[in-house]
Amino acid sequence: MRPVWLVLRKDLLVLRRSPALLGVLIAYPLVIALLIGLTAAYANAKPRVAFVDKDGIPHRVTVAGQSFSIDNLIRDVGKNVEIVRMSEQQAAQQLASGRVSAVVTVPQGFVADLKGLVSSPHLTLATGSGGITPRVRQQMQALVYNLNLKLQKAFIQADLQYVNLLLHGGTGRVLGHDFSIIGLDGTKQLLAGIPDSPQKAKIADFVDDARLALALTGNAIRATASPVVLDEEHGQGRTSLLSAQVQAYGLAITISFLGLLLAGGALAAERDENAIGRLVRGLVGLGQLIVAKIGLAVTVALGVGFAILVGFGIAVEVGGVHGGEPWQRLPLVLVGVLLAGAAIGAVGTLVGALTRESRTASLVGILIVLPVVFLGLVPREIVPVAAWISDAFPFAHAVRFFASALYDGSPWGTLAREAAWLIGLGALFGVLTRLSIRRLAV
Amino acid sequence: MNDGPLLRARGASRRFGDHVALEPTDLEVHRGEALALVGPNGAGKSTLLAVLAGAVEPSKGTVEWAQGVRAGWMPQRPAHYGRLSPRQNLELFARLERAGDPQRMLERLELPDDDRPAAALSVGNRQRLDLAISLLPDPDVLLLDEPTAALDPRQRRRLWETARGVRDAGGAVVLVTQNLEDLEHVADRVAALLDGRVVFDGPVAAYLTSEAAGSLR
Repeated sequence: MRPVWLVLRKDLLVLRRSPALLGVLIAYPLVIALLIGLTAAYANAKPRVAFVDKDGIPHRVTVAGQSFSIDNLIRDVGKNVEIVRMSEQQAAQQLASGRVSAVVTVPQGFVADLKGLVSSPHLTLATGSGGITPRVRQQMQALVYNLNLKLQKAFIQADLQYVNLLLHGGTGRVLGHDFSIIGLDGTKQLLAGIPDSPQKAKIADFVDDARLALALTGNAIRATASPVVLDEEHGQGRTSLLSAQVQAYGLAITISFLGLLLAGGALAAERDENAIGRLVRGLVGLGQLIVAKIGLAVTVALGVGFAILVGFGIAVEVGGVHGGEPWQRLPLVLVGVLLAGAAIGAVGTLVGALTRESRTASLVGILIVLPVVFLGLVPREIVPVAAWISDAFPFAHAVRFFASALYDGSPWGTLAREAAWLIGLGALFGVLTRLSIRRLAV
Repeated sequence: MNDGPLLRARGASRRFGDHVALEPTDLEVHRGEALALVGPNGAGKSTLLAVLAGAVEPSKGTVEWAQGVRAGWMPQRPAHYGRLSPRQNLELFARLERAGDPQRMLERLELPDDDRPAAALSVGNRQRLDLAISLLPDPDVLLLDEPTAALDPRQRRRLWETARGVRDAGGAVVLVTQNLEDLEHVADRVAALLDGRVVFDGPVAAYLTSEAAGSLR
């Protein structure tokens, strides 16, 4: 192992004497990770939805005696989707061209149905195709849910006014007709003026029972309308910037770039420097040379990975956010960094052996690592093929290892599976490099 | 091979893809011998030297070394780490060889002992650094590829002295050269190559009067 250590030490010395190169190598993947984070945030940006108002909805609508601001309602929905008013024709064109993700149409008679309280008014949702459609559909369902929730409150309020009339009497209005009733209170007073009889006693009992029952009606109606109520508590989870997934991706992207470029570049550089001829003359075996380059990837990955983890840990502490164990799980994550660094380094050595020139190795390394990283970001449920291809490279396994090590309550099953993948892929790419490296020594 | 040649190639050939750089070659190098490999550009001299040095595997045939022989190889192109200083290069190769004194080599070859990377040195200094690395194991056989190409007259004389010193100590020198002066000052035997084939193998004097010497004139 002495030759391996000497070559590794030499590579680290070369790296230390190239601070600009080292800085770029560390900064570049971090910038890429940041850009991916921004892209992910953009992917979470509001979908654009066309709003076609064929009924000419007024700014305010009064239903069941309650006045609603349609503008406020749209503004509420606009927190999740960008609502854009347009004509029916424009909406159809923009849906066809993909400029809007969906079209919500308010048909004629919508407000009349709403005010009439006789039949449910309908909204029409037309969606395009593609990955964003389910999210738009969810948002529109949420819109209808929120609308129903507001209407529900108004309807309950109106129902309770009728119950109140039944109890206490008074005047009301249904379907445009005014009416006046004496109510149960008035009935009881009337009964007091009537001579006692078995019939009066029965009516008096009914009035008492009805008053008791109607007094409980308010809560019963509310409970029936909303069997389950969702109470929201804000600020209990991590911000997206500090989420487990972002940490895992940031770490894996950095290690992938560093490991692949360093191992590949360093191996190809032995030929660039014309030093490989000296080494293979009995000083360093080709297998030892591969191990040294993988060792370089592991060493740098551990150093940079540790710095990133400490940075995240400090950010978590300073931010006072809950969840995860940034310090307790550090050794476990570093084990993953070691395995991932070795597996990615093995891929890098294969690139270095095949390209035979450090500049070409760096270019090919970037050409490989970028699609691998993006493939690893594609959800398995959306494009299964991307996940299969991604599984053939260490990146996706590194992400899953890190995410599980950082935040799973019981990570051992996932860790064992992903560690086995990383070891297997590392061995496979190492063997392929050993078979290819003879090309370097000519 | 203790009483035999220090170095022997048997049918050693080398192909690079479809290109035949060296046809099957038989060659022996004995103690006290300084062999010059000469020939026009692309004749296969550097390939033969690299095959003899073990830096390049022969496609066919073998290269055998006598037991316990230490070899130093100085290729035509710089073969050291450009980002490391001369001292760091010498220390690395001394550790890998488990032999040699970097400090002594710096002084002997008059190499700059500062922190400048080797890539920043002049061509001549880089050539001397390669020579220093090849001398680290105190070699019995010195394999030199156009060693004087970038050296000034003084350094050239010093290199000839070094080569003669190895030869006269019972070792051997194999050098690739295009320079008649190298033949006169170091070599006592010449192997001339043409199109990957040895077309002449004999004493320097016989070579200089032969038709094969045309390429050096």
